[in-house]
Amino acid sequence: MEFLLELLTEEMPASHVRSGLQQLGERLRAEIAGASVEVRKLETMGTPRRLVAVGDFGAGQPDSEQAVTGPPKAAAIAPDGSYTQAARGFARSQGIPESALVVVKTAKGEYMGFTRRAKGIPTGELLVGIVPRVLGSLSFPKMMRWGTGQLRFSRPLHGLLCLFDGKPLDLAFEGLAARDETVGHRIFAPRTIVVRTLADYMEGLRGAEVIVDPGERRQAIAGQIEAFLNPLKAKVYPDPGLLEELIYNVEHPLVVFGAFPEAFLSLPIEVLSTAMREGQKLFSVVRDRKQLPRFLGVADAVRDAKGLIRSGNERVLRARLEDARFFWDQDRKLPLAERAAGLKNVVFQEKLGSYDDKAQRLKKLAGYLCDKLGAAGLKKDIITAAGLCKADLLTEMVREFSGLQGKMGGLYARLEGYPTAVHQAVYEHYQPAGLEDEAPTSLAGAVLSAADKLDSIVGVIGLGIEVTGSSDPFGLRRNAHGVCKVILDKKLRVPFPLLLTRALAGYGDRLTLKREEVKRYCLEFFSGRMRFILEKQGFRYDLVGAALGPGLDQILDVLLRVKALDALKSSPLFEPFILMAKRINNILKDQPAGKVDPELLIEKEERELHSTFSIIRDNAAPMIARGDFGRAQSILFKIQPALNVFFDKVLVMAGEKRLRKNRLGLLQAINRTLLAIADYSQVVVEGEKAVPPVRR
Amino acid sequence: MSVQGLILDLHTFWAGRGCYLAPSYDLEVGAGTMTPDTFFRVLGSRPWKVGYVQPSRRPKDGRYAENPNRVQKHFQYQVIMKPSPAEIQDMYLGSLAAIGVELKDHDLRFDEDNWESPTIGAWGVGWQVLLDGLEITQFTYFQQCGGIDLSPVPVEITYGLDRLEMFLEQKDNIYDLDWSGDVSYRDLRFREEKEFSEYNFNAADVGGLRRMFDLFEREAARLIGRDLLLPAYDMCLKCSHTFNLLDSRGAISVTERVKMIGQIRELVNGVAEKFTAGKAAS
Repeated sequence: MEFLLELLTEEMPASHVRSGLQQLGERLRAEIAGASVEVRKLETMGTPRRLVAVGDFGAGQPDSEQAVTGPPKAAAIAPDGSYTQAARGFARSQGIPESALVVVKTAKGEYMGFTRRAKGIPTGELLVGIVPRVLGSLSFPKMMRWGTGQLRFSRPLHGLLCLFDGKPLDLAFEGLAARDETVGHRIFAPRTIVVRTLADYMEGLRGAEVIVDPGERRQAIAGQIEAFLNPLKAKVYPDPGLLEELIYNVEHPLVVFGAFPEAFLSLPIEVLSTAMREGQKLFSVVRDRKQLPRFLGVADAVRDAKGLIRSGNERVLRARLEDARFFWDQDRKLPLAERAAGLKNVVFQEKLGSYDDKAQRLKKLAGYLCDKLGAAGLKKDIITAAGLCKADLLTEMVREFSGLQGKMGGLYARLEGYPTAVHQAVYEHYQPAGLEDEAPTSLAGAVLSAADKLDSIVGVIGLGIEVTGSSDPFGLRRNAHGVCKVILDKKLRVPFPLLLTRALAGYGDRLTLKREEVKRYCLEFFSGRMRFILEKQGFRYDLVGAALGPGLDQILDVLLRVKALDALKSSPLFEPFILMAKRINNILKDQPAGKVDPELLIEKEERELHSTFSIIRDNAAPMIARGDFGRAQSILFKIQPALNVFFDKVLVMAGEKRLRKNRLGLLQAINRTLLAIADYSQVVVEGEKAVPPVRR
Repeated sequence: MSVQGLILDLHTFWAGRGCYLAPSYDLEVGAGTMTPDTFFRVLGSRPWKVGYVQPSRRPKDGRYAENPNRVQKHFQYQVIMKPSPAEIQDMYLGSLAAIGVELKDHDLRFDEDNWESPTIGAWGVGWQVLLDGLEITQFTYFQQCGGIDLSPVPVEITYGLDRLEMFLEQKDNIYDLDWSGDVSYRDLRFREEKEFSEYNFNAADVGGLRRMFDLFEREAARLIGRDLLLPAYDMCLKCSHTFNLLDSRGAISVTERVKMIGQIRELVNGVAEKFTAGKAAS
């Protein structure tokens, strides 16, 4: 039966609409399915003013039957055929007449009993409880109160439409009684629309200039953009984030196509597109990768018959570009290197000092990274870049458009004639802004980016500031994702713990926590982030756990390990190998570390295992060192026959202590080599009950 | 069409919605929110409706009368409705119709913007209202003021009068606006913008301003001690404007900025705290 819910609100931010719809869908489904009602369909959609759920649910809970048994027949029926005290007591306690008792045959014999039948509750009645509960559970990143009420929500609420099977449900949420009506577009058709069915709702609103389905709005925007741009063979400068936002900013999208004076094309494309995007949320237009003096905007309107929407946006954009040109001209009057001197007065973090302090630390840390990466040729340029990279925080342009930080520094550095490596590194050092963003293209940019982010992470963690579920005030997760992404994408081989040590040393005695403690916490933190990144890439959680087992000596190796495991997981040798590794692991549990003495290997099978293992280890070691875990793993497979024979013929836990210790020592040596590739004990194989670890 | 006509239309409209039309406050403020007609009246439980024009000074925005959009003093029309009425958005749209905006010819958007003023410990949730991409109004449900949670919740509607009039007259230069039939914006403001820009950026005596800031700050603290909260708040406003002047002189480092804003906020929060405590008692 058809279900329709609409919560009418004042204009919510796009991110709130998206998350509100997701919560609404998930929680409705959980509640309804949880009440044993069939959910044939449940979808959500919405606009800035509407959170909507539509569904097709069963009519009600199924009727239930429950067999209830009481006393044995022998004790329940007296010789004269009447019910005994026991039978009567049972009937009374169950609230049924004695006449309802019947004899039930069970495996244990004959008992008195009856079948309890319960009518299922109709879905409509269940929804009266469910809907207000679900709406009351919605939460948003920033909530507000209004009027004299105490409810906190994204924006004030105005109406609740809730129909089941064509009838309004008798329910209320925070004083809003559910009705069978909604209203049209705020400006173009602010009239009441009475609704009985989903079709009424969609068509009624369409007639009132509201397109409820975001997918349809997306298509409308794309279609209108193409109609403008195809004849010009031009394209939108891609900005998927902006499109996603605009879809949820309007109820009736209308694309407007405007122009700005060509003189502004002397500004860099970064500045132009940012000036267009911020504030007015306009798209830039390019042809053959060159900016055209045009823009596209998405209005919440039906038509622009008088061209006022276009010309209004043109006027506003012109003023913004005027400002941008003023900043561009002003900023270039002072060379970056001189500007950088002012960073002494810009606080990076109260206890961690100024941005000048940060720049000085970055010079050292980035220089160290160069050495470790064998990129000594870049060192001079990277150190120059480290000294300049924060200077643009003091430019007018970055004050106005904070999203251009780094980029402006890079652009100004290029104009001042710095070498390519320098201005590129400055330009790219904030990248990637998140997991979805691109890592720097240049090695210099990658090095500076990783150094900058790592410096922030160890500093903030060093002050004892913790990242918890919802609290990450300094964006440490994003920074850590940036570091990992740079290392993985650029395939940087750096000893990570040493890098942390260097980063920590840069802070001298500014930090609150002890360095060893910070380092331990950072390793744990990065391990958690790597787990998140790799699982997000689709690797099995247990393989990720196994790949993280050997630690974070090389972050890049974690990826290579999990890839090797993933590639080999369907090999017929894999499962027996895992079981064998687990067996070794179990045997060695709680055993003190020991050594193997070849002289004490008295059985043929253990000598053979020892020599096979020695060859395998010597072959695998260089592969492990260079990160070729796939091949190392394949070689390790070859130890299986010898191990099987060993386990068959040799008693590890021998009575004689010397022999026992020696055999354990041999297994420990094997285990150490295995652990250099993965912690196989974490891999789940068929037949084992897997419990996913608690996520952090 | 003129700025004066716009003000009269807004006065008529909001007076018709029960607002008391307050005179502009007679001290330099950065925004209409800072005057006592908003600051003190949003605190506590008593309902309040007010509308007023407030000249707002932002010394750093001065451009020597050479920029067609930016001025160091502009004019706001400020409305407070407490508690916020359920139909306030429709009421606001009505005010736009009343000043002559034919909404069906335009793109009107309530665009997320959560206003805050760290200096007076105030923040709210709401929108900037965009008309064809131009920000014409700040629309805020006040959640906190002077560091105190507000209940009932007031709504604040702040129109940028100069911008709105440029929009209505379709003019690209602020100085081309008419203030009244005979007097232009240029007549009234051009020399003022030039001279004040020179003062704000070059001529203001930094040493003197610093001493003034300290003086006003001490005076505010002293007056709070004597429960003279309205005069104390005036001193906070003077601190704030003096701070803005120092800032436009480029005399304030980033660290200092945080510290000075914190000093003012602490005083303002002190005023708000005593003010609401007194209300509860009386």
